[in-house]
Amino acid sequence: MTGHVRDQITLYLDDELQGEDRVLFEAHLAGCAGCRAALEEERRLIAAVRQARPLYPVPATLPARLAHALRQAVPAPSATRRRVASLWFALAAVVLLAVVVSVVWRTIRRPVLGPSEIAQVAVDTHQRYVRGQLPLEIQSHSPDEISRWFENKVPFNLKLPRYPEYPGQAKPYELQGARLISFHQEYAAYVSYQLQGRPISLLVTSSTIAHPAGGEIIRWGGLDFHFDALNGWKVLTWTDQGLTYALVSDFEERGQASCIVCHPGPQGRSLVEGLKPQ
Amino acid sequence: MDQREWKAFEEAALEHLEALYGYARSLVRNPTEAEDLVQETYLRGMKAARESTPAGNLKAWLFTILRHLWINHWRRRCQGPDFVPLESVDPAADEPMDWITDERHRPDVILEQQVLRDQIRTAIENLADGFREVIVLRYIEGFSYNQIAQILGCPAGTVMSRLSRARAELRRQLLHQMNESHRRMAP
Repeated sequence: MTGHVRDQITLYLDDELQGEDRVLFEAHLAGCAGCRAALEEERRLIAAVRQARPLYPVPATLPARLAHALRQAVPAPSATRRRVASLWFALAAVVLLAVVVSVVWRTIRRPVLGPSEIAQVAVDTHQRYVRGQLPLEIQSHSPDEISRWFENKVPFNLKLPRYPEYPGQAKPYELQGARLISFHQEYAAYVSYQLQGRPISLLVTSSTIAHPAGGEIIRWGGLDFHFDALNGWKVLTWTDQGLTYALVSDFEERGQASCIVCHPGPQGRSLVEGLKPQ
Repeated sequence: MDQREWKAFEEAALEHLEALYGYARSLVRNPTEAEDLVQETYLRGMKAARESTPAGNLKAWLFTILRHLWINHWRRRCQGPDFVPLESVDPAADEPMDWITDERHRPDVILEQQVLRDQIRTAIENLADGFREVIVLRYIEGFSYNQIAQILGCPAGTVMSRLSRARAELRRQLLHQMNESHRRMAP
């Protein structure tokens, strides 16, 4: 392997390879087992370094010492400043009241806000996959094999559900493969499915770094599902037991049919019904 | 900056305390000096912010102040930091990573043991200053190449090549430590 390719691997992992260079590199990666192996090794090294955080814990006395030093440095407000500050405070209180009333009114009428970051990243990832710009790092139809592949690569346990077995019936959906996605200095798990020839993407990450928000909120089974439609794709995001999930598809309504990739049985049918627009 | 803005700025700046202290330790190594450096960084930062609110990334701005203070501190003491010639690192260290491909040395196997974390820390601490600094800024603190270039005051291309050599040296350190560890464990 040339030094140039090794540099490209590092740039790729550091999210510094963009645009056409990134697309070309990913295309090369898809056909080069040696580079994929080198990428994996480099990824392990970086993950091991990140595991060592924090390198040096802050001494227990430092925050108090700093607070004291900063208090000494805070400029005292003058009498004029205080009068101006009081006026500003009164004005701010009025504005705040107006904002609160407005927000409450809007929330009651229509609880729709902008999409969360995790929803946007999931849709962007799905689009790149569908356009052939995002090769899978493991191609497999086996949930067990993909679950094993994620071990020690992502900072959480991910066990994909097995296909339901109905004698004489075809699989209701098919797993395509998986890869890692950079998200907030960690790796998120990306899993690709197909249902009736239509692609479905599942992005899973730790709930400490991804927070579903905004969109249309649907409460089901004690969970809050956030629904957004972005660039024509339907995305559902939610948090459950320490993990945050984002499911992207082009299915009808809220894309709720895609939920069967994890919940194919009777519970899944109930979930799909629960997420359907009333 | 009024009182309210000052308070908000102070709170936002203090969120980076752990990161700044870690960076200071990676530069000066001595815990007491690192504390002094962090305190001075905050005081200088607050003073500068009183004149004008910093634009851009607050964390990168604080890191830049800390680094300038560190350089001035060293200049005052008429000592240079213990940079090694960064080009002198053995290029063979960038060869295939046996410590990873060898089953005994694969991090996903060894990660199960707490010992790896200590080895990583020791390996980072053993790096030359210039190498340790870019590894900390990129992989511990998560700065982009451009932000690191801004903090170090050098072109992004320099950051890229220094990081490449720093990773090679880190691999060499880890391999050395693991060999030592196996040698000690051998009967």
